Amino acid sequence: MTAAPAAPARSRAPVISRAVPLSAARLLRVELRRSAMPWILPLIAALFWFDSYRPSTGTAPLYPLRTFWNMGQGHTIIDFGPFVAAVAAWMGSRDGRRGLADLVTATARPRWAAQLATWAATAIWAVAAYLAFVGVMFGVYAGQGVTGSPPWWWVAVGAAGVTAFSAAGFAVGAWWPSRFAAPVAAFGGFLALAMSSQTGFKHASGWSLILPTNSNGTFQNSDSGIFYPWVPDLPIARIMFLAGIAVATLGLAGLPARAGGQWLRRAAAALTLAGVAIAGTAVGLAGTATQSAQGMIIPALHDAASDAPIAYTPACGRAAGTPVCVNPAYQRWLPAVTAALAPALTEVAGLPGAPARATQVADSYVSGAAGPPQALTIGGRPPVLRLSLGQLNLPGPCGFCSGAVAAKLFTGQLRLLFAHTFTGAGSGPGSPAQQAVQAALLRGAGISFAAQPLLMGTAENYPGPQPDSATGPVFAAAERLAALPATARHAWLATHLTALRAGRLTLGELP
Amino acid sequence: MNVEISDVTRRFGRTRAVAGVSLLTGPGVFGLLCPNGAGKTTLLRMMATVIPPSSGEVRLLGRDPAGYGPRREIRRRLGYLPQNLGYYPGFTVAEFVEFFALLKEVPPGRVPHAVATAIERVDLGGRAKAKLRTLSGGMLRRAGIAQAIVNEPELLLLDEPTAGLDPEQRVAFRALLRELSERATVIVSTHLVEDVGAACSEVAVMDAGKIVFHGAPAALTASGEGSGAAGDSPLERGYSAVLANARSAAAVAS
Repeated sequence: MTAAPAAPARSRAPVISRAVPLSAARLLRVELRRSAMPWILPLIAALFWFDSYRPSTGTAPLYPLRTFWNMGQGHTIIDFGPFVAAVAAWMGSRDGRRGLADLVTATARPRWAAQLATWAATAIWAVAAYLAFVGVMFGVYAGQGVTGSPPWWWVAVGAAGVTAFSAAGFAVGAWWPSRFAAPVAAFGGFLALAMSSQTGFKHASGWSLILPTNSNGTFQNSDSGIFYPWVPDLPIARIMFLAGIAVATLGLAGLPARAGGQWLRRAAAALTLAGVAIAGTAVGLAGTATQSAQGMIIPALHDAASDAPIAYTPACGRAAGTPVCVNPAYQRWLPAVTAALAPALTEVAGLPGAPARATQVADSYVSGAAGPPQALTIGGRPPVLRLSLGQLNLPGPCGFCSGAVAAKLFTGQLRLLFAHTFTGAGSGPGSPAQQAVQAALLRGAGISFAAQPLLMGTAENYPGPQPDSATGPVFAAAERLAALPATARHAWLATHLTALRAGRLTLGELP
Repeated sequence: MNVEISDVTRRFGRTRAVAGVSLLTGPGVFGLLCPNGAGKTTLLRMMATVIPPSSGEVRLLGRDPAGYGPRREIRRRLGYLPQNLGYYPGFTVAEFVEFFALLKEVPPGRVPHAVATAIERVDLGGRAKAKLRTLSGGMLRRAGIAQAIVNEPELLLLDEPTAGLDPEQRVAFRALLRELSERATVIVSTHLVEDVGAACSEVAVMDAGKIVFHGAPAALTASGEGSGAAGDSPLERGYSAVLANARSAAAVAS
């Protein structure tokens, strides 16, 4: 030990206003360098890869479908939450575990302020890792040609979730400085997320919408971020909720007597109450959420300007001479759509109500009394076939079904739904005569009677009951109609389509 | 006076760890000699403003630590080395000392110089970038001393500072104490009476929560002359004699 080469400047009455932020920044830098969080990141990365990314690649390359699992159902938060809470608890309990409590208490900086620096470093690492992992995932998606716009609001919910878990875990460690604080925080975090998921599976309205793993009414639609922006209302409420939890739990860490002076502890108490109030307000707001066509809307948070549709230049092709246009996000499926529609459009060409063109329309979250909205409808003058492709299982990796959807199944379901809507059956099964004409049209479009019952059972969005087999009076009538020469069938349809669509024809009136 | 303690007691439940201690001391090295369990660590913790007294008055550096503002001012000017020094194994020596410099609110612009100086003073300059987990016990103790002196304290409390130091380092440490005591009050608690003899201008002996001797080391040495008390050195014999007298007096009183 040696004498000082030069006596350091003494710490007399520092200029608080400038020194404090700089000092806090230096403290944060030290904490960032020595945070335990980076050690757990490889494990989280592996979990993220296997739980958040890989399952998502089994869905169609549209952002709403790709991110349904990891963002909508909150698997990114599930992958991060318990581990982040554990490491934060480990860091929060550090001084107590390491026998440094006395030494740290005997320093001038308020204990709470020093703890906040430790927590901030933990949270910065966790949130930065979360954003980096999600960024890489979205980068990979972009490389895979995923279309639409990423759900940035839901990314923000995840970041807020990670922050909340870090704050809650830290508070556990600060209050209970034991080596068991970390496993307890991890288990608590896991339990909270499990309960959140279970509640989320059961409830599509009310307060439970605030839970970060509840995807009901917000994420089951393929066209969010494609035809219209992601509705930010519920994400904002969830961010408020999670931020409230973070603020409240951080405030709790400032309540013990050794945390700081009276004013600081009062500030901590105020912060705790403010956090509880913010979280409570968010829960209340979530309870007022209502389902709109574009997602969950919270009246107090909703900005009507965000409802404006996203402008786009459609991608167009032709099916049997009929123009078919889709959103560019769906362009990869345009050949499959035109190929599927061509025989069906040929079958009805020249008939009253035959579409002059086909155009894609946005999927809707709102279901009517008769069930979900029809995927294919015909209306307007001249008649336009409106395709809500977002409701269908598209060829390739599918949205919510298991395994890949074969092009043949996609073709069949599009022709089935077209024939169904063309006969005027609407959102119900249709009259027996309508069912028979539908079957005959499908037969004309290349789908045998024998294949039709199975098709009805597997097609997405088909409203009618599935017959056991292609027998009975409906199929008998259909066979009679299909057996007619094309010109005779065409002529009969031209004459009777209006009555058929009005539901006035009986099976006996079919030729 | 930098330390003014008047009739201070501290209880932990039914146990009275410190029982009516009064102490006045100014700049210089003050030695605190006591057997295990005598209450010195509790007394030092009170002087370090970690725990408040149960009764009595404490004034440090002319301030009452009961109030948060004065306590914070005291802590800016305080250096403390606990008996059982905890540490963050992943921190380097420099980071550990910097961490405490920042907690002690050393002006941030002066932190790098203060850290370098403190590390040099404990002769750890060559290990500044070594992780604490890689250091020997003696080096860790020196890192602990570095964090205690990084803010150039006016009141330095050292609980068993020489434990784990080799003889050469202990000699150097005593020189450091003498240098620091030119401007500061240094209170050193130790079991090693030779440290007291070599470095302290004043010494107190504690037993059963009370100060049973307060004076110059020479006076302590004199207490042992002709007493027949056990000890390898005159100072040790003085220490043993003081303790024996205090215990017999206590036995008579009870």
